[in-house]
Amino acid sequence: MRDLRSLLRGRRDGPAAGLHRSHRDAVRLWGTPWARFGLVLLVAGWALVPQFVTDDFWLSVLNYAGIAAVAALGLNLLTGYTGQISLGHAVFLGVGAYAAAQIGEGGDIPIVVWLPAAALIGGLVGAIIGPFALRLRGNYLVIVTLGLVFIAEHVFRNLKDITGGNTGTPVSASPSIGSFDVTDLSFAGQSYSREQGWFWLIWAIVALTALMTKNIVRTRPGRAIQAIRDRDLAAEVVGIEIGRHKIWVFAISSAFAAAAGALYGSYQEYVSPDEWNLFLSIQYIAIIIVGGVGTVFGTILGALFIGALPSVIEEYSDSIPGVAAKAGDSGISVYSLNQAIFGVLIVAFLLLEPRGLAAIWLRVKTYFRTWPFRY
Amino acid sequence: MTDQSPGGAPEPTATGVDDHEPLLALRDVTLRFGGVTALDGVSLEIAPGELHAVIGPNGAGKTSIFNCINGVYRPQVGSITFDGHELIGQRPARIARLGVARTFQNLGLFVALSVVDNLMLGRHHLMRTGFVSGALWWGRARREEIEHREAVERIVELLELEAHRHRPAGLLPYGLQKRLELGRALAMEPKLLLLDEPVAGMNLEETEDMARYLMQVRRELDLAMLLVEHEMHLVMDLADRVTALDFGRRLASGTPAEVQADEQVIQAYLGGAA
Repeated sequence: MRDLRSLLRGRRDGPAAGLHRSHRDAVRLWGTPWARFGLVLLVAGWALVPQFVTDDFWLSVLNYAGIAAVAALGLNLLTGYTGQISLGHAVFLGVGAYAAAQIGEGGDIPIVVWLPAAALIGGLVGAIIGPFALRLRGNYLVIVTLGLVFIAEHVFRNLKDITGGNTGTPVSASPSIGSFDVTDLSFAGQSYSREQGWFWLIWAIVALTALMTKNIVRTRPGRAIQAIRDRDLAAEVVGIEIGRHKIWVFAISSAFAAAAGALYGSYQEYVSPDEWNLFLSIQYIAIIIVGGVGTVFGTILGALFIGALPSVIEEYSDSIPGVAAKAGDSGISVYSLNQAIFGVLIVAFLLLEPRGLAAIWLRVKTYFRTWPFRY
Repeated sequence: MTDQSPGGAPEPTATGVDDHEPLLALRDVTLRFGGVTALDGVSLEIAPGELHAVIGPNGAGKTSIFNCINGVYRPQVGSITFDGHELIGQRPARIARLGVARTFQNLGLFVALSVVDNLMLGRHHLMRTGFVSGALWWGRARREEIEHREAVERIVELLELEAHRHRPAGLLPYGLQKRLELGRALAMEPKLLLLDEPVAGMNLEETEDMARYLMQVRRELDLAMLLVEHEMHLVMDLADRVTALDFGRRLASGTPAEVQADEQVIQAYLGGAA
C-alpha cells in the first residue's frame, strides 16, 4: 500500500502531464510569445510616450493616473482579491503624503529612502487599524472604514505640527537620488521636462507594484486570500489563518496607498487635508469596479480611465454645456459633475459589465485568438 | 467483510482495529446549542487506515461530529484526541495542519478559482511562502510553486480532472465539484479524511464514479476515513465499521452487518412506533 506522501512526492516516470509545457513553464508570467510581445510593447510605450506626448497637461493627466493606479492596486488586493470592501483607502494616501513630507523634508533625502519609508509607515498604520476593522465583515466593515475617513480627517486637520492643519503643508521630498533628479533629466544631449521625468518614474513604480501584486496573487498567500473571499469557513478548514491573512492584506493595501500618497505629495509639492476625503475613497472604488475587480491589468486600465476623467472634464469644461467653467458661471460645477459621473459609472458597470474593462479586453483577445471561429 | 486489497497487505478489519492505538478517539462528546443537545455523550474510535461510517436519520448529529472534530464547533463535555493531540479548543486551521482534511455536505469550493488553484490551496499548510517572498517571486516562492504544482498534477490524474484544470471550480458540474473537493482534501496529505455525504444529490452514474474513486483512494493510499452518508449501499460496501446515531446518541457500533441487524437502528430508521 502506497501512502499519500509517496504518491504526491515521489519521482514520476515519463513526461509530465500537459504534453509540451512543464510546470516550470506553467508558472511563467510571460510564458507565451504573444505575452512576451505584449511586454515589449508595454516597455516601449513606457519609454516612448513622453517623447511624443510632450504637452505638460496630458503628461500630468497620465502621471496622476499612474499614482492612482498604485493606490488602486492596493485596494484591489483588499477588495477585489480578499473581498473586504473598504472606504478608508483615502486615509492611507494621506498618511503616506504626510510621512513623505516629514521624512523627505528639505529635499536631500533620496527617494529610495522616503518612498519605501512612507509605504512602511502606511503599512504599519494599516496593521494597527486592521485587527479592529477586520473583525467585521461586509456592510459593517464598510461602515467602520467610513468612520475611519472622518476620524482621520479630524486628526489631519488638528495635528498641525505634521499636517499644517487646514492650510496644508508643503512637501519638499524630491524624486531624486543625490544629484540624479528625475525632474531634471538630460541624456544624449537632450534635456527633459519635469513632467516627462515624473512620467518615467511614476509608471516604473506602477509596473513594480503591478508585478508585486501579480506575484502575490499567483502564490500561496494570494490564493489564500481569494479562498477567504470565496468561502471563509472552507478556507479555515484547509489550514488558512484567516485573521493573519486579512491583516497582512490590509497592511499591504495601506502600504500601496501610502506609497501613492507619498508620490502624490512629492509630485504636487503640497498637500492639504481636504484631499483625503470620502470622495477620494469612492474614486478608488470606482477605479477597481470600472477596471475589473480582482484583476491587475484591469486596475491599471481603470486608473487611466477614472484618473484621467476629472482632468479631462476640467480641461474641456468650457465646451461642455451646462458646466460652470469659472466660479460665478451658472451650471453644475466641475467637481459635482465628476462626482455624478463616478456614481453613474459605478452603477452602470455593476449592472452591465460587472467584471469591468478587463472583461471587455479579454473578450477582444479571445475573439482574435479564436478567429475565424466565433467560440 | 471481504478483503479487497490487491497487494496482499491486509485491510484493517473490525477485529484488526482493536490491536492498534486509535488514530482518532471521541470520548463522551456532548455538544449543546442552548437547550438543544446535538451530541449526547458520543464515543467513537478510528484506527489508522480504517474507513468508519456514521449513519443516522436527519438531525441525528452526523455533521455535528465533523464540526467538532475539525474545530468549527466546540463541545462542552468530552475529549477528542487525534494522533496524540487534544482537538477540542484548537482552531480549524491548526487541526488541518495536524492532518485532518474534510469535505462539505454542501460543497466548500473556492468557486472563482480554477481547479488547479483549489487543489493548490489544499497544499497551503505544506507550503511556506508568505506575502513578502511571494511578492518578490524569489527563490523559495518560485521553487515551491513548481514543486507543489507537480503534486497537484498527480491528484488531477488520480481523479481524472485533466480536462478541467483551468476551469473555475464554480462552473464545473455538480459531480465534478464533489470530486474536486475530494481532491483538495487529498492534496492536504491528511492522516484522517472526513467525508460529509460525498454522494449526496448525485445521480447513479456520479455515485458510482465517486464510489470508484473512494475505493481507489482506499486501495492506493494509507488513510483513515470517517464517512457520513445516507446512501446505505455505499456505506455497507465501503465501510469497515459503522456507527449509528439518533438524536445525538450512539445507537450501535460494529461491522456493517451487525449494525444493519440492530433492533434499535431498524427502529430509528423505520419509526419508533413499532
